[in-house]
Amino acid sequence: MKNSKRYLNLTIALLFVFFLPATSFAAELKGKLVLTGSSTIAPLAAEIGKRFESLHPRVRVDVQTGGSSRGVADARRGLADIGTVSRALKPNEQDLLSFTLAKDGVAIIVHQSNPIKKLSNQQIIAIYQGKIKNWKTVGGNNRPITVINKAEGHSTLELFLKYFGLKNSQIKPHVIIGDNEQGIKTVAGNPNAIGYVSIGSAEYSATHNIPIKLLPMKGVPASIKNVANGTFPLSRPLNLVTKVVPRGLAKEFIDYSLSNKVHDLIQRQYFVPINP
Amino acid sequence: MLKQDLSSPPKGFGGVFDFVLRQGSTGVIWLGAIFVTAWSMWLISDIVFNGWAGLSYDFLTHTPTNAGREGGIAPILVSTGLVLAICMAVSFPIGLGTAILLSEITATDSWWGGMIRRSLDVLAGVPSIVFGLFGNAFFCNILGLGFSILSGGLTLACMVLPILIRSTEEGFRAVPIAQKLGASALGLSRLSTLFYILLPIAVPGLIAGFVLGVGRAVAETAALIFTSGYVDRYPESWLDSGRVLSIHIYDLSMNIAGGEAHAYTSALVLLILVLLINQTASHIGLRYLRRGVT
Repeated sequence: MKNSKRYLNLTIALLFVFFLPATSFAAELKGKLVLTGSSTIAPLAAEIGKRFESLHPRVRVDVQTGGSSRGVADARRGLADIGTVSRALKPNEQDLLSFTLAKDGVAIIVHQSNPIKKLSNQQIIAIYQGKIKNWKTVGGNNRPITVINKAEGHSTLELFLKYFGLKNSQIKPHVIIGDNEQGIKTVAGNPNAIGYVSIGSAEYSATHNIPIKLLPMKGVPASIKNVANGTFPLSRPLNLVTKVVPRGLAKEFIDYSLSNKVHDLIQRQYFVPINP
Repeated sequence: MLKQDLSSPPKGFGGVFDFVLRQGSTGVIWLGAIFVTAWSMWLISDIVFNGWAGLSYDFLTHTPTNAGREGGIAPILVSTGLVLAICMAVSFPIGLGTAILLSEITATDSWWGGMIRRSLDVLAGVPSIVFGLFGNAFFCNILGLGFSILSGGLTLACMVLPILIRSTEEGFRAVPIAQKLGASALGLSRLSTLFYILLPIAVPGLIAGFVLGVGRAVAETAALIFTSGYVDRYPESWLDSGRVLSIHIYDLSMNIAGGEAHAYTSALVLLILVLLINQTASHIGLRYLRRGVT
């Protein structure tokens, strides 16, 4: 009995000796993972990619930008292993699988010198439709309103339109911008402007001497904290999307991205971690 | 007496009106010149003033961290250099060849030469994003090069070719006809004429083309974001994606909250890089010129 157990141990040991190199070779991740899509997610995905590369030296994670629509298209056509989409998937995109990495809120911003404290949803809709043209109408100074809108293909625009029940063709913008920082700079440089950008970027700028102000939505102050606790209404998920059930390298990367090991990276990009 | 004659208004106009017109136009010309100079001075001093503090040896030799807010730009400089090298290595020979064909081999009024010239002019006016999308479709997808330094360099080569060819061609046109006739009278072969007579004289045009080409290439964002890409680690081969300096500046200033400081410093580095390349190019050109003529 004792002998047979020893043989068993020996067999197991031999098995390990023979198969361990092979199994460890198979288990060692290697290869290239391509992510394309949202310009909002790109810096975060690149940071997660770098940390992932440092854990798996034979892996390369390439992150490319171009907008959420591109993330969806590339994931579908197989040009990217993982698409990055900074909004919830639309009904006609349900063929893709999505994994929520973190959350981001969209804040309405005005210049710091603007005396407006809050705007109702109706007022914001009327301003963006061009029906209210002067700050005086909503209790501000007698100044014309400069409406800033985002360019097509950006998920902030889609989230904004969906939340306020607007169509892009109904909006009468004076300025059309691309990325978040551009929106912040435009508002900071124009005391009569109104725009909407990612809360993370807006909160960072507002606390770093950029003259902008974040307006509350339905009485809830626009802050990263309120996005985290779910009370802020205008928020969006940051998603990784795939065409098929992720396997191998893609699965490992997605699992790692959804773990709490990247919370510090998410917070450093001014987003809100949601996965425990 | 003569001096007074020259400065006095010509007869036929009202003296006062003409005086005002003359002084006024002089004023407008000066104003224009001052405006242009002041504007570029303001731009350069803004970049130097805001970027100088961050410029250090460490900035040039470290990798970017925290999405570029911290760390340096070393891999980005490497990628920029590689993309630029591919672009110039591919476009310079083709550009030189086409320019020689256009100015020396085809007749000025030939249909064929006219077609090439017209298509080059059309290409020179095409927005860079169109080149970017073309490069993405052709080099990245059809040829299967993916997001890579090679795709980016080749896309840029397509983009700078028109400028390169047209200014090189102008350089060749600057060669006096007497020199060409003299060369054939002496029985020099076409190749010898090209190397000993034409090229040395055409060098300023070549340099101008090169400098304009490099300038356009190194400042390019739209054509590269979809071809050489966004990856900011050291490229390990021609087929790796690598972020160039202009895209890094664009991303830091337009997409990264708090990336402003490093955006300015990177812009300063780009400015210095362009000046260095221009200086080196004209230095080499002048040496070649001296050697060629004597």
